[in-house]
Amino acid sequence: MIKYHSLKHYIPAYFVSLIAIIFTTLPIIWIFFISIKSKNDSFTRPPKFFFEPIIDNYTKTINNEFFRETFFNSLLITFFGIILSVVIAIFAAYALKRYQIRFKKTFMQWLLLAYMLPEFLFVLPMYSIYQTLGLYDTHFGLALMYQVHALPFSIWMLRSFLEEIPKEIDDAALIDGCSPFQTIYKIYIPLILPGIVATAILNGIWMWNELAIAIGLTFSEAHPITLGVAQFRGYASKDWGGMTASSILALIPMIFFVIIAQKHIVKGLTLGSLKG
Amino acid sequence: MKNNIGYYFLIPSILLLAFTSIYPLFYSFINSFYNWNWGEQRDYVGLENYIFLLTNEEFWVVIKNTFLFASFACFFEVTLGIILALYIDRIKVGSTIIRTILLIPLMVSGIIVSMMSKVIFNNLFGVIPFYLKKIGLKSSFFGSPDAAMPTLIGVDVWWQTAFVFIIILAGLQSIPQEPIESARIEGATEWQITRFIRLPMIRSLVLLVIIFRSIDTLKIFDLVWGITGGGPGISTEVVQTYSYRLAFGFLQMSKSMTVMILFSSVVISLTFIYSLIEKRNND
Repeated sequence: MIKYHSLKHYIPAYFVSLIAIIFTTLPIIWIFFISIKSKNDSFTRPPKFFFEPIIDNYTKTINNEFFRETFFNSLLITFFGIILSVVIAIFAAYALKRYQIRFKKTFMQWLLLAYMLPEFLFVLPMYSIYQTLGLYDTHFGLALMYQVHALPFSIWMLRSFLEEIPKEIDDAALIDGCSPFQTIYKIYIPLILPGIVATAILNGIWMWNELAIAIGLTFSEAHPITLGVAQFRGYASKDWGGMTASSILALIPMIFFVIIAQKHIVKGLTLGSLKG
Repeated sequence: MKNNIGYYFLIPSILLLAFTSIYPLFYSFINSFYNWNWGEQRDYVGLENYIFLLTNEEFWVVIKNTFLFASFACFFEVTLGIILALYIDRIKVGSTIIRTILLIPLMVSGIIVSMMSKVIFNNLFGVIPFYLKKIGLKSSFFGSPDAAMPTLIGVDVWWQTAFVFIIILAGLQSIPQEPIESARIEGATEWQITRFIRLPMIRSLVLLVIIFRSIDTLKIFDLVWGITGGGPGISTEVVQTYSYRLAFGFLQMSKSMTVMILFSSVVISLTFIYSLIEKRNND
């Protein structure tokens, strides 16, 4: 045994992780450096490694009205989207666990398909339907369309968390005379609360980062953060301060979320079929 | 339980999914047989849209680009992800922190990755072209039709390899230790254990990852829209950006929907293969 726990076993592993970590973080660190450089410092050849850090790019980005609007739009859209998906999915997941559903298999396959189909298949028809319904370019409309991805995901996740609850608890609730609603909010929700939070966070990350659906279904009022960042692109893409500072600002909430939901991410990525 | 209350709990999900997925699918399908360009006029044209696309040179370039991007990106991501997972599986001290750091790219939105790439690969002031020039290599990334696609693939590899890595790592860590221990006692080398025990045991997981990554790379939109916009020329145009350009740039609504119908049939078949694999695993 000891032989395999020798240095020969560990050194290559740590070496590979070191390279992977450098490769992963270096671009982000470099972008952060540029975001605290002055315009003159960022356009030098060779690139400057020592410079006077400034926060002008951040104050300029925060004072950019369009960026600020998209930031709050995204908060609102993500909030609506999470509430919709998690609330509706809890009932579906409960039904799938507790009851004999005749078309369960078909339903699960439908979920997978809705999750997988390309965005523009939905966006193009919805563009005209939404204009008739008055949902085009609204926060709620976007949150509603995000359900095509978020709802299947949430049902999978919550179902796999519910599956872990032993059947005895179900039966006990039934014997005590709990109605289905009482069983859900008095027993299940408290038991799988960490799972609900993880599902909400992973949904939130997806919605916060979504672009294709947003580009088709918003015009100006409900533009999300992804389009707020994209505005700095321009034709010549010379506004490096804006590009990098807005990227870092849009990224901060996500890194915060990852740290909270780290434990459940593997489950999320495999649609609940594998634990991390 | 025999009563029907379970079905009532499914109704909200079914209604919402019908509205967001089934309805648009049929809407696109029906309109693919019409000629409709946003206006009042909407004429039945039969298979004309399909024939137009399938005989259109541009469409085939787009298809070629999409599959080129998807197959190379998928190949590198899966290979690198597995290698990384095999090494990091050995680590016991500090593996949580390593895993969390390596996960970061997955949380970065496509548009932010685009911004980063545009800054880092900028031909005049970008850090990578500068140092390549310094060691005597003349480089052009998103500016040249030949190099733009490989660079996009490279960016996607940076962005999504962690997906493969994290799933395969979780799979490796759930392998029972007994066969590995006994193989060691028999004197098997680390490579033999990987080749004959570890890899066969995670085979279905690798298939799952390949299907997920191939659908996701075929659907690529943010990166291409954000970095090259499909250019130079149409050298990086992929199916979803093409569909977007047809609908919102050229106002060819029904042709764009036809593209999506053709493309969705590919996605549906891949999803079907995935279901078969899942079924075989559960039996």
